[in-house]
Amino acid sequence: MELSGPRWKGKNFAQIANSNPMSEIIAQLQVCLSNSESAALPIGTDFLLETVPELTKLLNRTSFGRQLTTSYDSKQYFQLSPEETFYLHHFLKCLKVSIDNAKLIDVNDLWNFMRNRSELFPIYYRAYVHLRSKNWIVKLGTKNGVDYVVYRHHPALVHSEYAVVVDWENDKGEKQSERLRVWSDLHCAVRACNGVAKAVLLLNVMGYEVNFSLPELLERTIVDERQITRWVPSQCRDDCKLEGNKGEHH
Amino acid sequence: MDGYNSSLPGSQIRLPICPNNSYCCIICCFFVLICVNLGKERTEVSKARWVEEIGMAQVIEKKGSLWVTTGVIRNGNLYCHIEEIGYLAQIGALVLLDEVDNVMGLKDIFTKCADRRYGCTWEFFEAYRHLKSLGYIVGRHGQPWSTKHDNLKPNSDFTADTGFIADRIEELQIGAANLMFDIHRPNSKFKKTDPGAPSFIICLVGDWPPRREEVEYLEEKCKLVPLKFCHVNHGDVRFFSFPKVSLPVLP
Repeated sequence: MELSGPRWKGKNFAQIANSNPMSEIIAQLQVCLSNSESAALPIGTDFLLETVPELTKLLNRTSFGRQLTTSYDSKQYFQLSPEETFYLHHFLKCLKVSIDNAKLIDVNDLWNFMRNRSELFPIYYRAYVHLRSKNWIVKLGTKNGVDYVVYRHHPALVHSEYAVVVDWENDKGEKQSERLRVWSDLHCAVRACNGVAKAVLLLNVMGYEVNFSLPELLERTIVDERQITRWVPSQCRDDCKLEGNKGEHH
Repeated sequence: MDGYNSSLPGSQIRLPICPNNSYCCIICCFFVLICVNLGKERTEVSKARWVEEIGMAQVIEKKGSLWVTTGVIRNGNLYCHIEEIGYLAQIGALVLLDEVDNVMGLKDIFTKCADRRYGCTWEFFEAYRHLKSLGYIVGRHGQPWSTKHDNLKPNSDFTADTGFIADRIEELQIGAANLMFDIHRPNSKFKKTDPGAPSFIICLVGDWPPRREEVEYLEEKCKLVPLKFCHVNHGDVRFFSFPKVSLPVLP
């Protein structure tokens, strides 16, 4: 099923999005975060960032992290995923990170820290960089049974168009993961996502080796983009267009 | 239940209002309805004779307009593959005779469909039947709808076909992905002598979803014709495609 275009949540929301390019808001965030003294701290598998109102506003406008509801007015708290933390620290070069609540760590130490916590972190980070660097908003896809969901602009303005599944293979082209290994995995992903008017986007991180350094990860892997579409011959004579909330009924 | 028998044409599953609302009665009514649909009497019944040497049947009595989009023409004669025979026999539009003119029953026809010697498998037949019943024009991948040779012996017209079938048999490895059908969308102007490029090509996939490398390899073989992958699972026929996309860089 191909999408018939972005589904904006309100009448003039497309114009609002066009007037507020995400790249510009992210540039403002970079300046604000660079000037901030606040450093992200590990908390569980995520990171906690204490913020002030101006930074809070920019993190919300660029849809990084989840703001934790508190009764405090002067300070706010954000929970950032490992990918978000590393992207802000390494790719946007604006977030400070402190591991043991004392000194700030550099990108190499943070890379090792992330890798030690999760052997799949490099793969997910590679996919995350691929999407965010194209200025798509990337959020966790747990609700839809996928890795990420991506938005063309802020989720308050537009519905997400793609549900993203991340797969990976080594430099011999051999699939390395158990994702989409059996047919029911495909049926499940497509059914779940088409039912909420999202196309399934398969991101394949190609050429990945376990011992890659950070520069090698970014320079020697390629991210292949393919959509997984189901064709229902009784419903349409070619790939259907997803419209509104209509999805698969088979 | 909606999916049950969706491969058979004209079957609308509507449960009749059952005077006796018991479970047994409802189930019986359900099967009666299906049998009524299957047993619809057709006035136009064609006849074909099986020719073992070529693994196809020659159509000897042609009835109805279905032959515009079914069967292949070889030197002016009409022949059909086992999957076409299976479908037409199942809907009662064709009677198949053996080489001594005995009528072959559905059991024998279905067994031949599943017999890989004729370039067909049971799953291949199920996919064929599903698409045909929905009005698509379905031909074996790469095989011409019509050929015409002058001054040739009858059997030599089939050299290409039997060679084709032999290649197909090799390709029909269990579990592998195979390019199987060239599909034209329903089209009243379809001509076997000038069918045009197919609308898409169907690849029948085995037990596992295709890997990226396989998808790319098969796409290259199809050149610019869109490729769809078909998975048949105990009669349930589903299609997927894996088009390459390029997410735009946003402002």
